[in-house]
Amino acid sequence: MVKFRLPGRTVRGRWAFAYLTLAPVVAIYLYLRIIPISQTFIMSFYEWNLIARRRPFIGLENYAGLMRDQAFITALANTTVIAFGILALSVPSALFVATLLAKPRWLSAVYETAFFLPVVTSMVPATLAWKWILDAKLGPLNQFVGWFGIPPQAWLIKPELAIFSVILLSAWKLLGYNMIIFLVGMRNIPATYYEAAEIDGASPGQRFWFITLPLIRPILLFVSVITVIQSYNVYTQVYVLASDAQGAPGYVVRVLVYDMIENGFRFFRMGYASAEAMILLGIVLVLTAVQFGALRDRR
Amino acid sequence: MQRSLITLIALLALVGSAIAQKTLTVWSGYPELEPFYAHVAAQFEADNPGVKVEILTQPLRDYERRLMVTLPADSAGDILEISSAFAARLVQNDLIPPLSANLEALVTGGAYADFYIENASFDGTVYGVPLFRGQGALFYNTAMFEAAGLAGPPTTMDEYVEYANILTQRDASGEPTVSGWSLRLGGGGSGIAEKFWTIMHQYGGSIVTQQADGTWAADYANDAGYETLKLYVDLVNKDRVVTPELTGDAQGFQLGTTAMFIRESWVIGDIAAKAPDLPYATAVLPRGTISLPVNLYVTSSDPLASTFVEYVMRSENLRWLLANVGWLPNRQDVDYADIIAATPGLDGFINIPADQVLFTVPPIEPIDEIQTRMAEHLVRAFTDRNLVDNEAGIRAVLQTAANETNDILRRAGLR
Repeated sequence: MVKFRLPGRTVRGRWAFAYLTLAPVVAIYLYLRIIPISQTFIMSFYEWNLIARRRPFIGLENYAGLMRDQAFITALANTTVIAFGILALSVPSALFVATLLAKPRWLSAVYETAFFLPVVTSMVPATLAWKWILDAKLGPLNQFVGWFGIPPQAWLIKPELAIFSVILLSAWKLLGYNMIIFLVGMRNIPATYYEAAEIDGASPGQRFWFITLPLIRPILLFVSVITVIQSYNVYTQVYVLASDAQGAPGYVVRVLVYDMIENGFRFFRMGYASAEAMILLGIVLVLTAVQFGALRDRR
Repeated sequence: MQRSLITLIALLALVGSAIAQKTLTVWSGYPELEPFYAHVAAQFEADNPGVKVEILTQPLRDYERRLMVTLPADSAGDILEISSAFAARLVQNDLIPPLSANLEALVTGGAYADFYIENASFDGTVYGVPLFRGQGALFYNTAMFEAAGLAGPPTTMDEYVEYANILTQRDASGEPTVSGWSLRLGGGGSGIAEKFWTIMHQYGGSIVTQQADGTWAADYANDAGYETLKLYVDLVNKDRVVTPELTGDAQGFQLGTTAMFIRESWVIGDIAAKAPDLPYATAVLPRGTISLPVNLYVTSSDPLASTFVEYVMRSENLRWLLANVGWLPNRQDVDYADIIAATPGLDGFINIPADQVLFTVPPIEPIDEIQTRMAEHLVRAFTDRNLVDNEAGIRAVLQTAANETNDILRRAGLR
């Protein structure tokens, strides 16, 4: 058999080919992501009114203004509570459901579909359905809590309950997606590990704790990061839940994206809204780095 | 061959007619006005063959956003309907040109009161043609008033509170099922502040006032503001006359879950369409009400655009507007008497006593932000039970909101 040895030039050619094939993707990514983010970053240092002809450079004034802005601080606090609430609710529950469904059984596919259904449902109709569920007068949730002697609650009017409602809805919406990702990871763990553990007399809890969890750690990291990023961008559900016949005030649950849209497209303070966007980006990047640090495989 | 030739000629004719057809675009932030513009467009198209009028209406806030994006890009409609308060910032940034000579002559020729001309002008130049005004009045359900033994509408703020309590209907647990007086407790920010402003006006207050030196300042962290916020807090938390959960406003009035509320005249047309058998009347407010002018602005240099505005302002069309939509036309040299006589609901809007004091939203750039931010404080305060019988607490809320208002004014160079 004749063996061909590729000269160094060919290796360079391979690299060139790799760069060439990657170039369109990188170009699109630059055009759609990096350039807009860079422009947003630059705008955040200007008093950039959407219609004003004069747009002076104001340095860090937009950032300083945000630190004094009670609406922004409220939005940041609410968004953080919602993001971690969704993380705390959706990731463990998805892990639990995935554990139950990990071993294919009769009707497994039906249950998987049932849990995944909210993911493929559009956010607006799904939220509208929840709006009815949470309605103070007609909602079935109040009927349900009534069976336990709890008086009807204004789920969408009281701020703390409204935040809880947003967390509940968002976690429900995310659960199926997270579950599928966990399932993929769990089903790829070799059965021999569990068989060996079973022979050694490990309980189901021990098998989960000492085999499943360590082996799906990268997946847990991925799911947690994606959940936090998505949750910090919460907007549609808040907008739809808070809206009424008179509009969508967003006051009950003010979140960062709502605040950004209001400053940018209602008060036309694009520079100020850009500064908010950069802070949101910074928070998400820091949290992602922290999660990577915490959940990284330490072998 | 012959068939191909005919097809080609037909295609060319189609393309030719498409090219020959001119399109005028009319944009509005009041979807209920679409039939009105369609009514005018039909006349205009009949008189101007080859011209097509396209009407685009969308909810006000979305519409305002669209304006802010399309005007700088020079891609907005040819004729824009904008409130004078919102148009101010567009005019100040040269995004809207002054009116053509013929439209300016129409506006300044005696057809409009000075108030409307001033609100359509900037620095002495006329930019808009006054079309209609958003003016508030009390709507009250006459059957509910009769059942409660009330002979007529309230005439003082004390009577408003008293009647609201009498008119409220409750279930066995004491929760209201019919609100005696539907107050705006939620919804779009500026709307909340605007309704609050209308009630505060009865106590002599204003959200902002211009100072002697031309600057502006918040003017509600005072007795008028206190009386107004106290009224809201009491009616929501103490008297339980109105709650955020209860369907209110025009919808509640039409459904019979509201005995009275303050709103603009468009509700008359809305009631006629959705609850024609509703027994109701309107009445002026104790001291006066808001009058928010909405004007037509022309961005196109095509003379046809100005001609279309002249069509809109024809007396028969303005009468159609009043009779069919309910918004109050601003042109004063048109006889509306028969329409008013046939629509008793217009009483509270048209027959205004001479001592009534009207106010409007000032055309300063950050007014929407001021009202929206103020509304956030108000919404939280309305349902805050800690503010019941808590004068210091109410005044503190108002002071915090007023400080924010002044900060916004300062940032805009108005203070």
